[in-house]
Amino acid sequence: MSTPLIEARHLKKYFDTPKGKLHAVDDVSFKIERGKTMGVVGESGCGKSTLGRTLIHLLESTDGEILFKGNDITHLNKKQTHEMNEKMQIVFQDPYSSLNPRQTVEETVKEPLMLSKRFNKAELREQTEQLMELVGIDRRLRLSYPHELDGGRRQRIGIARALALNPDFIVCDEPVSALDVSIQAQVLNLLQDLQEQRGLTYMFVTHDLSVVRHISDDICVMYLGQLVETSPSKEMFITPLHPYTKALLSAIPSTDLTQRRQRIRLKGEITSPIEPKPGCRFAARCPYAKEECNQPQMLEELMPNHFVSCCRAKELNEL
Amino acid sequence: MSKENKAFLSIKNLTIEYTSDGDVIHAVNDVSLELEKGKTLGLVGETGAGKTTIAKSILKILPEPPARITSGEIWFDGKELLNAHHDEMRHIRGKRIAMIFQDPMTALNPIMRVGKQIAEVIELHENVSRAKAEENAKKMLEMVGIPAARYREYPHQFSGGMKQRVVIAIALACSPDLLLADEPTTALDVTIQAQVLDMINDLKAKYNTSMIMITHDLGVVAEVCDNVAVVYAGEIVEYGTREQIFHSPSFPYTKGLFGSLPGLKSDVKRLSPIEGLPPDPSNLPKGCAFNPRCPHATDACRQGRIGLIDIGAGHLCRCCQIDSTQKEG
Repeated sequence: MSTPLIEARHLKKYFDTPKGKLHAVDDVSFKIERGKTMGVVGESGCGKSTLGRTLIHLLESTDGEILFKGNDITHLNKKQTHEMNEKMQIVFQDPYSSLNPRQTVEETVKEPLMLSKRFNKAELREQTEQLMELVGIDRRLRLSYPHELDGGRRQRIGIARALALNPDFIVCDEPVSALDVSIQAQVLNLLQDLQEQRGLTYMFVTHDLSVVRHISDDICVMYLGQLVETSPSKEMFITPLHPYTKALLSAIPSTDLTQRRQRIRLKGEITSPIEPKPGCRFAARCPYAKEECNQPQMLEELMPNHFVSCCRAKELNEL
Repeated sequence: MSKENKAFLSIKNLTIEYTSDGDVIHAVNDVSLELEKGKTLGLVGETGAGKTTIAKSILKILPEPPARITSGEIWFDGKELLNAHHDEMRHIRGKRIAMIFQDPMTALNPIMRVGKQIAEVIELHENVSRAKAEENAKKMLEMVGIPAARYREYPHQFSGGMKQRVVIAIALACSPDLLLADEPTTALDVTIQAQVLDMINDLKAKYNTSMIMITHDLGVVAEVCDNVAVVYAGEIVEYGTREQIFHSPSFPYTKGLFGSLPGLKSDVKRLSPIEGLPPDPSNLPKGCAFNPRCPHATDACRQGRIGLIDIGAGHLCRCCQIDSTQKEG
């Protein structure tokens, strides 16, 4: 097996809060192969965005290792971080707040190119134009400001900016959540085209399960900072093994009128991620919770490439 | 006027404009709708299609100006609302017609206790003592799955899902006959969304409440709606039962919406999005509002206004190319 493009080993990110340590990402390990897309799903506050940001050094990790093409990049000095930033980029969720309202489209796209100090004036101009063309932004819009554009176009600018220095890896943090369905499909197609053309590797963070199934090769399901299940994308939707994944999938409203699914009703709210107890964090809402769920859970490979962190998964799924 | 009495709510030829900087924005264009008692109608469409404006006009809470209702009638249980007196509307609002607002983060008063915000509605509309109102408000909290012990907390102490349930509790406090739900679950996570949809369905069954559900999520429509109206650029472009819309979408925009959705079962490699953008409502294209984005558009589509055509069993579609588009599936 080739070296994965990016790998996380026992990655942790804790935040200090007045009430104690908030375990936003707790002991998460995974690999993403070059040219593939890893989808990360979970509900708000489960740490999926924090995971993406920690991975590309927007946040300093608390513990664990991050490997990029096999090299440890967990601890970098300022200069090295700067170099890594060219290889790892992010597209943010909200195209309304992630663009500088005082910069024109052209200035926004040009900025990373300028900061790299690699291009002269003519090259800058040419590169900027190429990038805008690549993401499908009309040349006539180059002097427009973000407020003059619709959400779909703004997100295209966010993508152009992320692509400017030819990165290998892009974290897409809910890139289509703020867009209307018809526009969402345009942006998803653009992301797929770019991946094919440039061999990009994506980590696709979203709460929308149908989007994640469409775009990802593999899926990680997170719950309160922990990775509860990971498997190839299709398989997750056919044979989910963790009780949380099952509940999550059953909760999606289906557009198929002929097949009404039996919904698993979850009781209660997500518990606090501040100084959580050891053991499964889903236990409080889990219909199958038992005594042994209060012990720390380990990821176990129950089917080929299908890992689950649940001590009862084997028995519940009759494996 | 015997015809009006059949439908519980009937909107006729409603047209609403907004004026901004001298530009006239055509938000709602000649919309007619009917809703029977106990039924749920889904209003589906993109941001800015005019869905929320329609709902707000029923309650007469549009900001006028800039909004202006230029024509139309809204009949609710035998009464015309657009000409109703201000005082009369105050008795209808919150009591007979209630609205669940989209954003639970801004719909609640941040400096008022959550329970009090529910009790306020009850005190205002039901002839009960303050103590009784508090008791009823606590029951409402329990009903939406929040312990009554949290009555004295403030909105910031609640999670997003709980805030949305408080907004729903306020809307349901006086068991309204008509519920206007404006994207009630859009801000919520799927498992919480499922809880809220279950709750809405239970309540509808219990009180025989009629509902207008505004959403852009076709999955939500499939879960709760009996009938669906697809709104595009302030017009109803397609109307039918849930089965008609989901099994044989006919207007090109509706078809496009289904093509844009990544399915949970289908294995399409690429989505087929609707090309282009929704039209500028201050400068709508001539003829069919969808014609610049429509793959089937012909010269006939760029002429005058196109009427709704019944394409079978009450399934209405505003398309003059319906024969050719149907053939191509």
